[in-house]
Amino acid sequence: MDAERIKQRLTPIFQDVFDDSALEVRDDMTAKDVEAWDSLTHVDLIVAVEKEFKIKLTTAEVRKLQNVGDFIRLIREKAA
Amino acid sequence: MAGNSEWGTIQCSTPLIPQKSIDLDYRRLVRASKKLDSSGLSRTVRLAILSDAASQQFVPVLKTLFHENGVAAEIYEGAFDAIELETLDPASALYGFRPDVVVLATCTQALRLRYYQAGSLEGATSRVVQIWDALQHNSAAKIIQFNFPLPYDRPFGNYGLKVTQSLYPATAALNAQIAALAQERSNIFICDVESIASWCGRKYWFDERLWHLSKTFCHLEFLPLVAQTVVDIVLSTMGQIVKCVIVDLDNTLWGGTVGDDGHLGIAIGAHGDGEAFYHFQHYLLSLKHRGILLAVCSKNDRETALRPFVDNPDMVLKRDDITIFIANWENKADNIRTIRETLEIGFDSLVFLDDNPFERNLVRQMCPEVIVPELPDDPADYVRALSELNLFETAAFSAEDIARPELYRQEAERRELRSQFSNIDDYLASLEMKIEVARFEKTRIPRIAQLMQRSNQFNLTTHRYNEAECEFMMLDVEHCLPLYASLTDRLGDHGLISIVIVRPGEHELHITDWLMSCRVLTRGVEHCLMTRVVNFAKEKGLERVIGEYIPTAKNKMVQDFYAQFGFEKISEQDGRTLWRLDVNSYQPRKVYITENEYAWTQNA
Repeated sequence: MDAERIKQRLTPIFQDVFDDSALEVRDDMTAKDVEAWDSLTHVDLIVAVEKEFKIKLTTAEVRKLQNVGDFIRLIREKAA
Repeated sequence: MAGNSEWGTIQCSTPLIPQKSIDLDYRRLVRASKKLDSSGLSRTVRLAILSDAASQQFVPVLKTLFHENGVAAEIYEGAFDAIELETLDPASALYGFRPDVVVLATCTQALRLRYYQAGSLEGATSRVVQIWDALQHNSAAKIIQFNFPLPYDRPFGNYGLKVTQSLYPATAALNAQIAALAQERSNIFICDVESIASWCGRKYWFDERLWHLSKTFCHLEFLPLVAQTVVDIVLSTMGQIVKCVIVDLDNTLWGGTVGDDGHLGIAIGAHGDGEAFYHFQHYLLSLKHRGILLAVCSKNDRETALRPFVDNPDMVLKRDDITIFIANWENKADNIRTIRETLEIGFDSLVFLDDNPFERNLVRQMCPEVIVPELPDDPADYVRALSELNLFETAAFSAEDIARPELYRQEAERRELRSQFSNIDDYLASLEMKIEVARFEKTRIPRIAQLMQRSNQFNLTTHRYNEAECEFMMLDVEHCLPLYASLTDRLGDHGLISIVIVRPGEHELHITDWLMSCRVLTRGVEHCLMTRVVNFAKEKGLERVIGEYIPTAKNKMVQDFYAQFGFEKISEQDGRTLWRLDVNSYQPRKVYITENEYAWTQNA
């Protein structure tokens, strides 16, 4: 699955979890860029992404994520 | 309880909007929580949640589910892991919030942590009780206590059950102790999180990543189930409970069609084809024993429909288990309205179970408040489907609950019987009433005195004799004949329902007291008793019977009581009237009551 396709599928999830229908997913986006992105919505995000892509992430993988680009790479690896 | 969305859709009917099922999807509920408009809701609850886990994900879900069940919830969220701090301090923000309900959302992961630190769960029970005590001391709120899903770590393997201090059996013991202690406190309700977790599967329930990352006590998919359970408990404390379950017969209560297959040909029994229905009937029977009324609503000829209840020995449910039995060819919505009117309960306390989707939809449309759950295609899953919906939550259980179905059944059967007869005489005859009339007896004195105190409407002279006075009359054989009457019919025992006291004079017999319970009006009891009184006068050689009426604020219904027996009014003063009957002119009315053998001098 290519990165662009993953980004397309991530967009509605981000919009839903962060309650912002105008939100656009960018590779360099981090938690600091999104007001509603805290440790709890982070977990909401992870769980929603796992469900969408039918993958399971480890605690360490989740902790290591620096930005959305990392996240997309991780999904690509896991969903392969 | 229900399944979860990864393994099947979670759906839950709710009393207020039963035609819609509530979709228990976590994301949907969170989304909905941001757009709640509670302006149309008349019911509110102030709920405080205190937790040793994170409650931020739980609260929006809870709020939405309350809303979708018709309750506007204002929720106070305690600080993380500050249960003691907030409950023990009378000046805390918790008490300032004035909660109606306090949810103690404790979790296994936090319990486990304490176990690791202390090496045992010693003191865990007293810690819970200390919190309850503090809450009850500082607030009148109802308390909902979460119990603990059993942990999956079992360092001893199966042998661990024999090692009581290990975490797994210690947690099970803690749950049992909490349940036992809650039995003694009527305002403590257990939210059985353990049963939700084991139903969903502990394997999926515990998600250590979520606990590490955000102190979330279970996988997010299951939070709505826990929240719905809290809502169910709160609604039951608000009196929203199911009181009657209405069931269809063919392919719902048994397999096959009784009209075609015959009362012995239907599938019902502990083995084989009938086992699914056997299980289902036992489930319904356990609801009845819990105080929920059972009614039948079936498209059948009545005789045909009744036959299995009477003549099929494999049936679990018998005729007497059914409070109201309706089998006809009318539409079911009308029949359900009849059931509701007869029982005088709200539509929203009725559940209707029918295997036929057409009937379910009809009832949903015509009686939208009635709870109409979907039934699975396979009857083997009926009990499971109903259990998942958790329809039968209650906030109390007492001896009255156990007795209720029988009382309702007797009364409903009398009404049903009456409607079948075109005239009252046939109806009365069908009741097979038996009366027992006797002189006051020692063992009956308490009930006699009670009736003397409580009868207002059907009471001619309203003398309030106490037990000692009643006993004195009982012993005064020379001057007084104090009679009581008790009545039974084929549907049940009415108990002691009437008292008549007469005193012989020189030429006349005086009726000084006549009272009766209004429950047995129009049965012919008074005619039965008057015939006794007149016969007694004749035996004593007395020519006349004198009766008196003394008006009170409540006994207008009997002001002309004596006229119906042929008495003449002989005096009237300030509403008080005296009546006289010539014993030879008395014409006894036909009654449909079998009378006991009786001797006037019979005594205690």
